[in-house]
Amino acid sequence: MRRAAWRLAVAVILLWAGWGGARAAEARYYRFGVLPLQSPTMLAKMFLPLTDALARGLDHPVEFVTAPSFASFMRRVRRGEYDIIYLNPLLYTRARKAGYRVIVKVAGEPFTGIVVVRKDSRIRHLGGKGLPKGLKIGFPDPNAYAATVMVRQYMRSLGLSVKRDFKVRYFGSQDSALMAVYYGLVDMAGTWFPSLRSMPAKVRRDLRVVAETPPQPQMPIAVRSDMPPRVAARLRHLLTHLTDSAQGRRVLDHLGFKQGFVAATNREYDGVKP
Amino acid sequence: MTDMVYPLPAEPKVSFFQTLRFRLIVSVALVHAILMGAFVWLAVTKQSENIRTDLINRAHALTSLMAVASTNALLSENLGSLAEITGRVKRQPDVVYGAIVDIRGDVLASTDPAQVGHHIDLARRSRRSHVLDLRDTVRAAGQPVGTVLLGMSTRALDAHIAETRDQGVAFILLAIVAGSLVAGALSYVITRNLHTLMGAARDIGGGHLAARVNIRARDEVGLLGGAFNAMAESLEATSDQARREHEKRTDAERLACVGELSASIAHEIRNPLSAVINSVKLLGHPSLTAADRTQAIGILNTETQRLQRILNDFLDFSRIRETRPVADDICALIDEVAHLIGEDTQARAVRVHVQSADRPCRTLHDPDQMRQVIWNLILNSVQAMPDGGDVYCRLVREGALVRVSIADTGCGIPDHLLERIVRPFVTGRKQGTGLGLSIVQRILMQHGTRLEVMSHVGAGTEVSFTLEAA
Repeated sequence: MRRAAWRLAVAVILLWAGWGGARAAEARYYRFGVLPLQSPTMLAKMFLPLTDALARGLDHPVEFVTAPSFASFMRRVRRGEYDIIYLNPLLYTRARKAGYRVIVKVAGEPFTGIVVVRKDSRIRHLGGKGLPKGLKIGFPDPNAYAATVMVRQYMRSLGLSVKRDFKVRYFGSQDSALMAVYYGLVDMAGTWFPSLRSMPAKVRRDLRVVAETPPQPQMPIAVRSDMPPRVAARLRHLLTHLTDSAQGRRVLDHLGFKQGFVAATNREYDGVKP
Repeated sequence: MTDMVYPLPAEPKVSFFQTLRFRLIVSVALVHAILMGAFVWLAVTKQSENIRTDLINRAHALTSLMAVASTNALLSENLGSLAEITGRVKRQPDVVYGAIVDIRGDVLASTDPAQVGHHIDLARRSRRSHVLDLRDTVRAAGQPVGTVLLGMSTRALDAHIAETRDQGVAFILLAIVAGSLVAGALSYVITRNLHTLMGAARDIGGGHLAARVNIRARDEVGLLGGAFNAMAESLEATSDQARREHEKRTDAERLACVGELSASIAHEIRNPLSAVINSVKLLGHPSLTAADRTQAIGILNTETQRLQRILNDFLDFSRIRETRPVADDICALIDEVAHLIGEDTQARAVRVHVQSADRPCRTLHDPDQMRQVIWNLILNSVQAMPDGGDVYCRLVREGALVRVSIADTGCGIPDHLLERIVRPFVTGRKQGTGLGLSIVQRILMQHGTRLEVMSHVGAGTEVSFTLEAA
């Protein structure tokens, strides 16, 4: 009898604590984790207007956060530290295993990786035998899907082995990889169009795209599975209707995603492979 | 005749705090205190302000630097980088604490590792004493993404300010002491000559008119010394002149007095002497009858007695000895005299009344001389009432004095005699010699007092004088 009473008391305490914790979690910020594709300040410039708009729409504060590296970002994803994540399709396939589900993806522009060189470079394309050996190529991160994975897959399809034919350097972010090309630290860099567009005009003018990979499913925005469906639905609605208002379009201008977001499902990312 | 020397009044006791010297010292010390106080206050305030501004600027710069340095790490939640930032901040001088907090209020890095991971309410942070609390918002793309907190110790600042203040107070005290010493020396130089002047003035006040000051200073005190000497010269010259004039006047008065006295004596003696001469001539006449002889002899007796009385009174007047005052009961003395006179005057129905609130009533007087004074005055009153009356002897206390008054209801003294009544040979009676009141006045003057006379013809006379109570 006494043991039963103790169990009941412990259960009540745990329930109370769980209820309080849930309330606290609900009361605090939704954490919007963005894959460190670019420098944190650059990402903040892009995504803070979006988190602001989402906070207003959800009537709940939304915190923009990124991570020092792809690896640390994914560790946090695995620990479920983010409520909302923006990442590349490849990493999304891993995030799914950590309990995230896609709600929208970037609309319009095909999701491709590109290879850029300096405008004055003699490299015009990657195919053929005219490409000298020992070229230096820069990537943001081994896990950067468009910039690294897709570019490497595309090069493999052209008969080029990155490991064999190039000297590879990783610069941590898209910006750094692009700046490395600009300053001549590497001969070419794998990246993607949104990052190229976000570079200063002077840098953009001195860079040239020499290759673009075949398209893949666009960058997804996913939410953690324990997010209340009502909130997830509201989030999807807000994201897919940004193009409907001038304010929303200004948000998209900051992001560089002119056509906004469209609803997406997990099935679209089934074919994404490393 | 020598200079008159007057007894100096006791030198008034002047407290040091009432002297010019003290006032000058206090004035200079006060001026020093006020000026140095204002200067030190300004200096301390300015220096404190500069130090505080310097600390605040340094703290602001450090806070801003923290905010800028931590932006990327904060956005990416790079705890290692943030910890490195707070670690470097901690090594800065005067830093008490430093923390980097994200937009939720969660501490991502802190100089106190125990705080990392905890939520803090920025609006309710308690303030600590001697700590300057600063915060700066970390912004990215114009929006707040976190906050940096920095606490700078103000202990060194406060200690520096206290040290500056203490030095200021020490300077003030030093200035007061130095100023007081200088003021003391200065006041000594100034008042030294004033003291010399004061001493000389006291000498002159005491009758030493030859006193002079020797002040070499060329300032106002020097001028005052010169003026003082000139005044003393003038005073001495005037005094000499007055003395010479007094001597001349005294000599003239003495000669006049001798002449007047000689004339008075001659006048007083001439009549009885003429009667004596005529009587002697008459006695030598052969046809003189026995009745005429008897009458002539009677005239001879009367006039020679009168001559004898005149000479006795004159001798009494001229031989008044020096007064030897002692404490004695004046009331008993008056009673005694009144009793003696009353025995003589009973037949004439004169009543002598002695009235005194104090018995005994002791005064300082020479008993023998005072007996003569009282005797003369009461006798005058009795003689002023040939048909009888009352004589009132009253003793009234007037502070430290006793007023002795003798009043009668007699015929009174005519106005033309009233002013001269105490002079020798001035009398309103045919039988009087005019020396009684002169003797009284002279004795009273030797007692340091004088006779006051009030009289109305037909109503009576009141004479009075005061004696020092014993």
